[in-house]
Amino acid sequence: MAFAGLPLAQLLMIAGAATAVTVALYILKLRRRAVSVPFARIWDAAFKDRQATELFSKLRRLLSLLFQLVLLALLVFALGDPKSKTSILDGRHIVVLVDGSASMKAIDVKPSRVEVAKAQVRKLVRGLGSSDRALIVEMGSLPSPLSTMSSDVTELDPAIDALSASDTRADLERGLSFAADSLRGLPKPEIDVVSDGVLGDVTEIVKRVDLRGVSVRYLPIGKSGTNLAISEFSVRRYPLDKSRSEVMLEVANTNDKPAQVELTLLGDGVVIDVSRFALGPNEKLPRYYQDLAGASRTLEAKIRFADGRADDLPADDHAYALMPERHRARVLVISKGNTYLEAALLLDEYLDVTTVLPGNTIPSEHFDVAIMDGVADTLPDSVAAALYLNPPEVGAPLKLGAVLSDFGFDTWDKKTPILRFLALGDVQVSTGRALLPATGDRVLGASDQGPILVSGTRAGHAFVALGFDPRNSDLVLRVAWPLFVLNSINAFVEEDTGYVSSFRTGDVWRIPVPSSVASATVVDPAGVHHTVPVKEGRAVYLGEQAGFYKLVTGSGTDATSTDFAANLADLAESRITPAPELALGTQKAAPVSIGVPGSKRETWVYLLAAVIALSVIEWVTYHRRVTV
Amino acid sequence: MGLLDLFRRNASPRSGKQKLRSQQLFDDEFQRKLEMLALVSRRVFAGRLRAERRTKKKGSGIEFADHRDYTAGDDFRSVDWNVYQRFGKLLVRLYEEEEDLSIYLIVDCSTSMGFGDRKKFDQARRLCAALAYVGLANLDRVTVLGVNDRVVSRMPTTRGKGRIFKVFEFLSQLEPAGVTDLGAALKTFVAQHKRRGLAVLFSDLYDPAGFEAGINILRFNKFEPYVVELVDPAEARPALKGDVRICDCETGEERELTITDGMLDKMQRAVADYRSAIERFCAQKQVPYFPADVNTPFDELVLRVFRRGGFLR
Repeated sequence: MAFAGLPLAQLLMIAGAATAVTVALYILKLRRRAVSVPFARIWDAAFKDRQATELFSKLRRLLSLLFQLVLLALLVFALGDPKSKTSILDGRHIVVLVDGSASMKAIDVKPSRVEVAKAQVRKLVRGLGSSDRALIVEMGSLPSPLSTMSSDVTELDPAIDALSASDTRADLERGLSFAADSLRGLPKPEIDVVSDGVLGDVTEIVKRVDLRGVSVRYLPIGKSGTNLAISEFSVRRYPLDKSRSEVMLEVANTNDKPAQVELTLLGDGVVIDVSRFALGPNEKLPRYYQDLAGASRTLEAKIRFADGRADDLPADDHAYALMPERHRARVLVISKGNTYLEAALLLDEYLDVTTVLPGNTIPSEHFDVAIMDGVADTLPDSVAAALYLNPPEVGAPLKLGAVLSDFGFDTWDKKTPILRFLALGDVQVSTGRALLPATGDRVLGASDQGPILVSGTRAGHAFVALGFDPRNSDLVLRVAWPLFVLNSINAFVEEDTGYVSSFRTGDVWRIPVPSSVASATVVDPAGVHHTVPVKEGRAVYLGEQAGFYKLVTGSGTDATSTDFAANLADLAESRITPAPELALGTQKAAPVSIGVPGSKRETWVYLLAAVIALSVIEWVTYHRRVTV
Repeated sequence: MGLLDLFRRNASPRSGKQKLRSQQLFDDEFQRKLEMLALVSRRVFAGRLRAERRTKKKGSGIEFADHRDYTAGDDFRSVDWNVYQRFGKLLVRLYEEEEDLSIYLIVDCSTSMGFGDRKKFDQARRLCAALAYVGLANLDRVTVLGVNDRVVSRMPTTRGKGRIFKVFEFLSQLEPAGVTDLGAALKTFVAQHKRRGLAVLFSDLYDPAGFEAGINILRFNKFEPYVVELVDPAEARPALKGDVRICDCETGEERELTITDGMLDKMQRAVADYRSAIERFCAQKQVPYFPADVNTPFDELVLRVFRRGGFLR
């Protein structure tokens, strides 16, 4: 016998103190109820054998004390949670990995797979042995433990209630890794995977996760799956006509039968296109909508069977996208005159251009971008950013290096939005200067003779510097020139924020933040606010719900908000046909054994029941005047 | 209008509270029953003349009672010369003396009489009033007293049923209080009342000094005691259980007891034994004894008293 609750020394202390108090209370003289009688002498006659009565009364009092001490002993014993030593040593330690991926939202079993999984886990917990312990973990893109390793049903039940499915993939590898780490060093380790088996390719997991000595079991959930999915959804504005946009989406039929599909596109909540088409068995079909008008901000796609019935996984029947914010940028051009530059700026009707000759007074109003064509005048704070074309020695934001001749772009950063869509490989430049970037500056393009395109920040103002006059190159004759100018302006005015029309759930999102702040607030589709950190100008957040989000920076009147969208967009997750078995490498996971509910027999429960029963007997005998 | 209504105007004014209590205790219904009892008593004792109560006292009446030996100083006129002629003995003729009967109605006013909801005390006062009315109606001399360990209060001797309202008023003013000591109280009574007569004692006889003392005082002083014991059956088996501290309502004596059903049975037997002892004592001493249950209507009790005899002769 061993005590799983309070230690023996503590139990003895409690028992001693409680016994002392109980005995002390019994030693105290009983305060009797005073009753008036008309003639006490008659009572004397009736109670002439009082001595015997008193003796019996004392004996009964002693019995009452003994009774109380027995109750006390039972209670103290129950506090100790007595168990047999073998049951303590031999208990299993189970990590229950419950699939929380999007496929668990499928309704092929009622009410849904995740609810059925919860019911199964409840049964499993109730069937645990008295010395078994379990840890409930929700397995989404990241494993989330919802309880401690416990045998207490009252602790595990709330954790089971908290289980839910999100719009993400389930990462079995991370889940198993977490479970294996949690079970390290514990006797009889066991991992119970409760899932529909839509877990991607799991055959190689055993090579990466050390599961030696751990028994992995599998409890399949779900019956079948009939599902249509929108697996990709993206939208962008045309750079030169931002009132129009084009949409790319991909729909998939994950069933073995052909399906007639109805696809609805909504712009700002209003239906702008409905189309019907046929999809073959397991067919993916990309669709493009060009020159799409009618939506200025949000786009939403819905798919369903043409006959009106819903499929088993509604989560991937919707997709959301957000178009880049339309913004009329104010551009200040300080130039002696540059036809190529003026022509490039004319291409974007959303630019508000002000031209000033070098040396003239700069207007005091706010400008998003200043384009310094061969000059480097001092800019007021009202100018947010600057694009330097062939900057002079004096006033330039960075130092100039050697004079270059006959060079081109040998390397450039293809990921920077400034050089997006640009083909710079064969640009020829006759003469220019190498740029010497300061610490923190970023080289966007370089020739083999040195950096020629650098971005950075000076006194909180972003800049891009091009180390040569475009007119001394054939760049101005290429399509790349206006794109370079417009990309630069767009980058400065944060038009890039809208470039990512939607994020993918389950990934860590890096959302561009339009101002330099340390933290931001993400408002999810359910309206819940999450404070997230901002690193390198981007808010970092792991999103698990599809829908429209809002990113808020600053507070009060300085608060700015940016909208963005997130989609499941995972075809593997949309294939919801449940897997009856879980094969990890060459071995299949054994089925989960669910014990008989109530088999978890705790001694303390019986002790407490005994206390209650004795108390009831005592109450009945007292109130029914059996013992008094 | 009832017979008693004729006398109501003669009743003395009383305070409002006392009047209310008196009205409650001796209400119209009570008074109607009294009149009925008076009529019944006349029928039961028909043929008797009013004020003709022969006493055991030998005196100057006209009805021969007995002879006794002549002693020096006797009136010669009372010598029975016929007997002297026949037997040669000087014997004196004795005659029964006729006089009004004195009825003393003694109400125990100790605290125990008011125990609980004063049922015993109220019943005692009603019985007292009823017997007083019958006595007054028969032109007897009626005196009412309240006693506990002394004579608490005394209503002057009165006669004639018109005085019944004085009796009501007197009884209404009595309050149960104090300790019972019938021996001491009745010693005072006999000392104050030289005229012997019928002494009716209304009491629960819960006397710490013993119920015999008071009755014996009456007996030894030539009164004719009549005991009406007020009995409340609830006192024999009180609704008590468990550990209690009982306290005598008069003496304050305390006893700690643990009461069970068995104990209550014993208590019931003890009360029955106590009452048997009273009855046995009264029978031995030829003292009329009458138990009066508080739950029995008083008029029924009064009729039982009449039937039992001894009160009116």
